[in-house]
Amino acid sequence: MRDAQSFDEFYRSTSPRTLRYGHAVAGDHGEAQDLVQEAYARAWRQWGKLASHPAPEAWLRLVVSRLATDRFRRLKGWRTAMSRTGPPQDVRPPGEDTVLLVGALRQLPANQRQALALHYLFDMPVEEIARETRVPTGTVKSWLSRGRSRLAELLPGVTSEELEVNDVA
Amino acid sequence: MSRELTGLYRSLAEDTDPRGLASPDVVRRHADRRARARAAVGVLALAALVGGTAVGTQFVLTAGPDTPVGPPAGTPAPPSVSPPPADPTPAPSVSSTPSALPSRTTPSAPPSAGGGPPVRTPTSIPDSAFFALAAANDTGAGAAFSDGPVLPRLCGAEPGGSGVVRQRVRAVPFKLATTPEGYVPDGLYRHSITSYRSGRADDALRELRAAVQGCPEQQIGSVTSRQKLLPDGGYGDESVLFEMRKPFLDANDEPTGDEEVRLIRAIRVGNVVTVLWEQGWEGSSSPKSQVDADSRRAVQAIRDWLD
Repeated sequence: MRDAQSFDEFYRSTSPRTLRYGHAVAGDHGEAQDLVQEAYARAWRQWGKLASHPAPEAWLRLVVSRLATDRFRRLKGWRTAMSRTGPPQDVRPPGEDTVLLVGALRQLPANQRQALALHYLFDMPVEEIARETRVPTGTVKSWLSRGRSRLAELLPGVTSEELEVNDVA
Repeated sequence: MSRELTGLYRSLAEDTDPRGLASPDVVRRHADRRARARAAVGVLALAALVGGTAVGTQFVLTAGPDTPVGPPAGTPAPPSVSPPPADPTPAPSVSSTPSALPSRTTPSAPPSAGGGPPVRTPTSIPDSAFFALAAANDTGAGAAFSDGPVLPRLCGAEPGGSGVVRQRVRAVPFKLATTPEGYVPDGLYRHSITSYRSGRADDALRELRAAVQGCPEQQIGSVTSRQKLLPDGGYGDESVLFEMRKPFLDANDEPTGDEEVRLIRAIRVGNVVTVLWEQGWEGSSSPKSQVDADSRRAVQAIRDWLD
């Protein structure tokens, strides 16, 4: 039996940072909303089991990551569903830094965006990212290094040497 | 640079936060509504593919009287982010310490051709006894071991409930080979392996046949589920295949005229019984050919373990 209350609590406590993660991985805020809501919908459909999972939030991020790279996903229903909740809130436009970062991230491979987001948004060490993405730590280091090097090329004032020295655990 | 990049991500987070998500109740309602709609589509597709031979079952070893026929739409096992737990009650590994086991034969089990070695009763079940999906069917989500029933409800019967030495159950999401990688799985197996005391494994299958035959109909929630044995053979020493059918309900719990069909197969290999209970995903069911293929893989994995 699925417990709606525990799901709602989980949703409220984790969805803001999951949305940030989705934004960083998908490179688009609106798409991130769809991805994240889809991930939570899937979580709800199996909440009876997922509620006792040792790392439900990591599971969610896994789903978000996969959806972000799934060209065949069907997320159209979310726009309609959300439209029933009223017009969106008025919010200020994204800042220049966000626009720059998102623009650069879109030019990175998905696995590099994922590793960078886990590192910078969740402060995860390499070992933890490796566990979550199920790849060797060397692969994660490579993703981070290459991702940061590429960002250094794309973002003004950033050099890959500094990134590698300071950030690769 | 590290600090600069950290600052850029911080900006991204700050810009993301004000534009939140829908409330959780909206997400839940939307998910439930869509799962029901998808279930209807899944049933139609299955009917076209396998002529309505899908089955759902649950070995009642531990099934409660109110255990639902299958998972709610889209109840896959939570993909195992962490490694699945090992056998919770470690016991000497059969494969590594065969000499530690008393020679437990199964008098009632069919003797192997040519009077082979006595049939052993394993006292532990390693992960390696569980089959690996074909690469084309692997979702990458892994399997999750858990407790719970291994068979669906069958009018309160509990076939195979006695003589159990060890039992492990896992949930395995799978995809069809034609499904693109990263897309939602096509089904979910509740897959169990149970070792029995000598001579009790064939009792378990006999009890299961009787339970299905003795339960042609049962009430599950607001609908009637119909159970039927299907012809089966060629799996392990013996096998039992049955289907469960019930009306598919729409979002308002009204019958749509379609049926939800599940397949369940129990296979005996010596003193071991494995059950593949195909539970679908979001209301869908897999083609029988997929269940058949994975049944063969399940048998082979058990034989490799026991050899």
